[in-house]
Amino acid sequence: METEEQEQIEHAVMVLNEKFLGTALGILFGSMLFLATNFLILKGGEHVGAHLALLSVFFPGYRVTFFGSLIGFFYMFVLGFIIGIVIGAVYNKIVRA
Amino acid sequence: MTAKIQPVSCSKGASHTDDTIPPQLLRAIAPLHPTAMGVAWAVVCGGLLTLATLYLMLRGPTLLQFDLLSQFFWGYRVSVGGIFIGLLWGAGVGFVLGYGFALIRNAALWIWLTTVRSRAEMEQYSDFLDRM
Repeated sequence: METEEQEQIEHAVMVLNEKFLGTALGILFGSMLFLATNFLILKGGEHVGAHLALLSVFFPGYRVTFFGSLIGFFYMFVLGFIIGIVIGAVYNKIVRA
Repeated sequence: MTAKIQPVSCSKGASHTDDTIPPQLLRAIAPLHPTAMGVAWAVVCGGLLTLATLYLMLRGPTLLQFDLLSQFFWGYRVSVGGIFIGLLWGAGVGFVLGYGFALIRNAALWIWLTTVRSRAEMEQYSDFLDRM
């Protein structure tokens, strides 16, 4: 490998795409809550998802039901998207400074 | 494939000559900046914990016992003081998470690149004895 190429690789730093990162985190977060909710529904029991249902404090309308899992997916997708955008923006700002 | 790509360097101050590495290739193997990633995660985690505490304070008592976070975050409470303590704890934990994530990702990338390079070198010299 030539010296110039070696130097380029050593000094290169990855720049993030905020929208892609936000979408990826949104899908990941949303899917996690969707799967967790439906896992508890399928598992059944006396008090289905008594603790997970407390998320309704932050996410109004969320319940441990199938419809609630869709609402939860939406909330977590939005949260993950915002987190991804913020992480990408702060990271890129520091890297480009 | 890379012949069609305009070679543009991602590094500061490097000249744009034909010898430069295509940016697509450089982006694929470029490492993450651990400090930048740590700061980004610190902002997010600190901000989330602060907003959650503030929201719970304004909303009043709920079934959710958020104070239990004090089991991990010493001194944290759902109170005005807890907002600042939560901000510090969230930022601290977030920085460690982000920094650690970047380090592990860079290490995994380095191992992968070393493996690929070693294999390529071995293939290049596999017929060394035949040429003697």
